[in-house]
Amino acid sequence: MKILVIDDEQPTLTMFELLLSTLGHEVLLANSGELGLEVFAEHRPPLVLTDIKMPGMDGIEVLGRLKEEEPNVEVVVITGHGDMDVAIKALNLDATDFINKPLRIDVLEQALARVEERIKLSTEKFASLSTDFTSDTMVITVCGTLGTADEAEIKHVFKGAGKARRIVLDFAENTSINGAAIALLTDSIRSFYNDGGKVIISGLSENFRNVFQIMGVTRFATFVDNIQDAEL
Amino acid sequence: MIRAKFAQLSLKNKFFFSILIVILLISGTIALLARWILISGLTQELEMRGTAIAHSVATRGTEYILENDTAHLLNVLFDEKQLHERRNLVAYIYVEGKSGKILSHTFTTPFPKRLKGVNPVTEKVEKSVQVVPFGGHEAYDIAVPIKEGIYQIGTVHVGLSKAHIDNLVGKLRAMFLGFISAVIIITFWVSHRMAKYIADPVMTLTQISDDLSRGSFTSSDLIYTDEQAGCPAFHDTDLPCWHFDEQRTGANNTGARPHRCKKCAFYNEPGDGDEVQQLTTSFRNMVWSIRLYRRRLQESESTYRSLFRSGPDPIFVVDVLTQKLVDANPRTEEVYGYTRDELVGMRYTSFGQEHAKECFEYFSNDELCAEAMRSARVVHLRKGNIPMYVNVTACFISYRTRPAIIVSTTDVTDLVEKDAQLIQASKMKSLGEMSTGVAHELNQPLNAIRMGSDFLTMVHEQGIDIPKEQYAQVVTEISTQVDRASDIINTLRSFGRKADLLLEDVNLNEPVGAVVSLLSRQFLIEDVHIVTELDPVLPYITAQHNKLQQVLLNLVINARDAIVERNEEGAGVRGRILIRTEYDAEGVSVSVEDNGTGIPDHVAQKVFEPFFTTKATGQGMGLGLAISYGIVREYDGELSIQSTVGNGTCFTVRFPRQEVAQVAN
Repeated sequence: MKILVIDDEQPTLTMFELLLSTLGHEVLLANSGELGLEVFAEHRPPLVLTDIKMPGMDGIEVLGRLKEEEPNVEVVVITGHGDMDVAIKALNLDATDFINKPLRIDVLEQALARVEERIKLSTEKFASLSTDFTSDTMVITVCGTLGTADEAEIKHVFKGAGKARRIVLDFAENTSINGAAIALLTDSIRSFYNDGGKVIISGLSENFRNVFQIMGVTRFATFVDNIQDAEL
Repeated sequence: MIRAKFAQLSLKNKFFFSILIVILLISGTIALLARWILISGLTQELEMRGTAIAHSVATRGTEYILENDTAHLLNVLFDEKQLHERRNLVAYIYVEGKSGKILSHTFTTPFPKRLKGVNPVTEKVEKSVQVVPFGGHEAYDIAVPIKEGIYQIGTVHVGLSKAHIDNLVGKLRAMFLGFISAVIIITFWVSHRMAKYIADPVMTLTQISDDLSRGSFTSSDLIYTDEQAGCPAFHDTDLPCWHFDEQRTGANNTGARPHRCKKCAFYNEPGDGDEVQQLTTSFRNMVWSIRLYRRRLQESESTYRSLFRSGPDPIFVVDVLTQKLVDANPRTEEVYGYTRDELVGMRYTSFGQEHAKECFEYFSNDELCAEAMRSARVVHLRKGNIPMYVNVTACFISYRTRPAIIVSTTDVTDLVEKDAQLIQASKMKSLGEMSTGVAHELNQPLNAIRMGSDFLTMVHEQGIDIPKEQYAQVVTEISTQVDRASDIINTLRSFGRKADLLLEDVNLNEPVGAVVSLLSRQFLIEDVHIVTELDPVLPYITAQHNKLQQVLLNLVINARDAIVERNEEGAGVRGRILIRTEYDAEGVSVSVEDNGTGIPDHVAQKVFEPFFTTKATGQGMGLGLAISYGIVREYDGELSIQSTVGNGTCFTVRFPRQEVAQVAN
């Protein structure tokens, strides 16, 4: 896969090049936002990794420009450690995912895997929410990219919960959720919890789990790694 | 001999004896002269009277002598002799014939034989006077020839009673001597009084002078009369009385009109009394003045003495010539830990070598002597060589006629420490504000290291073959990044370290370099570019590296804030901070210039004031520039500001350069 890496740090770029090429990717490098846009325009890679904090044009601006130019491009932002505000800001701008610095190679590999999955399923670009009832439990399976456009559907699904005492939100591995959708989900989960219901969230990648944590969802919902761990 | 003895006599006796001697001499002379004139005059007068009687007898008796009519002749004789007062004076009259025969006489007794033939005269003489004895008496015998034509026909002898004459002379003499004596006695008394009148006040004045010299003002009865005690100026030494006006030109001069009483108890109008009295008055005024000023002096002395003793700061006096302490107040003992006995005689240099040297050099310059020397934060050594910080004020004085300096010190160790703490706190705050940036900065090498090490792990675990160059590249990169991280940490540490208080030689380029290396990459992210224009050859300045870093850090962070603020207002400029070092003959300067918002004039006047801030509440304490200013002043430097609103600000720090030659970087 052709990957464009934008970072102002030369050592980081060097490492990315080594790593990604070893992993069998074709690597394009740019040491500034401006240069990154030029390279993107030339090579049109499906995936862009960009640092956020850069002199001149920063990562957020690069993200915005890229999405303007090619809405289908997958952009993974690299943020400073624990800088969740920036991560949420990036998600709001439809970033696919975010990775914390210092970068762990397994996290990177997972992120890359998710992106590859999403690209493969590019036909399923739009989110699909399927519901399944078992006794008092409603299981909502989420795939694809959950975005602003899916607002109505999310509301509809939660309304459909009816008398169910429990909701299991099962996210597919390739799921990406943008900022607006996160806010909406959070609201819905909170109101369901306040009505006396119980929410279990499964299959969410660590990054998104962190985002939900920041939003305070952990108070209303339980996180499990796999749907099987949820006691249905 | 006599003169020497005379010189030793008291004034009174001198007067007395001088006048006495002169009076005696004059009286003696007058007595002799008068005696001679009076007595000879009297005798002559009586003689002439006798002669006149004799002539009268001779004239009247000529006829009876020629006729030999002794009865009538006798009658004539008695007439002449018994006429009124003559009877006491004329002892006898007798007429001698031509042959010496007694023709007639007035003796009631037989003619005394002893008279016969005495005192003969010839017709050629007018008269002859001779003292002759007769009948137990003596008489002045006046013989006058009786002439008929050119012939002598007889002689008339008139005897004037010597006893009577002597009696007259005696009376005269007694009277005269009595008069002279009376004059002498009166003169004696007058001269005595005069001498006393002059000498007594002089003696009193002498007595008072002696008392004054001994410092006793109480014995003087010239002052302290009730009237004088009632004088308004007597007890109030600050009342501007006309008489001591001239002394009141100093700082005490209140400008009030001198007080003048209608009748002064102390000062007589000129022309009151004679010279002696005037002298006394004048002397009394002088005593009064001396007493007044001496009392004032004592008051002043006791005031300053109490200031000296109770002063909250150590005060001591150092002799300039011996450079040793000659006096010290109790506070000096407390602060310096020495006893007074140890302090007195101690060399001033044992408190602090360098400052003492400067001090004596300063006061060896005559022009500077008049002004006090002030030095801030000098290190002085307490007993046991424990250092402390003091502010020193030294002033030139004359102490017991020797040139000396009076030194007052204030222990500011606590203050210096507090300052250091404040500076440190402010620095830590700056560092805290920088922490996000520093974290990002530190994250970069960590990121590269992490990726490198993960890469190596992956290669190892999955048994992937990679070219050797790649392997070397990764390892070298990791090592470089570790260095980079540790550099960042070292810079941070050097910032965070609490500065000690010793001054060192500093090349201004070094703190600039440290600050630039710490901040330049961080600032780039905010699109602020730090540009340096450093003079490669800068003279050293005397300061502290660590604190200068802090000053520069403050200035650069402020510059960054100004640029960010300007961009937030939507200016969209490319941030640029220019740090420039340069020097000239007097000083070395570093300027930090930004293209931020700029500072309006009314704010620029206040930026160095503590707690002044234009940042939102909670954003800044307003201490950064105040502390920077304090630090710069500590090294005798200047911190100035030039700013144009909308164009940027330039802070310039300027330090005096060391005289030593330049140093290349």
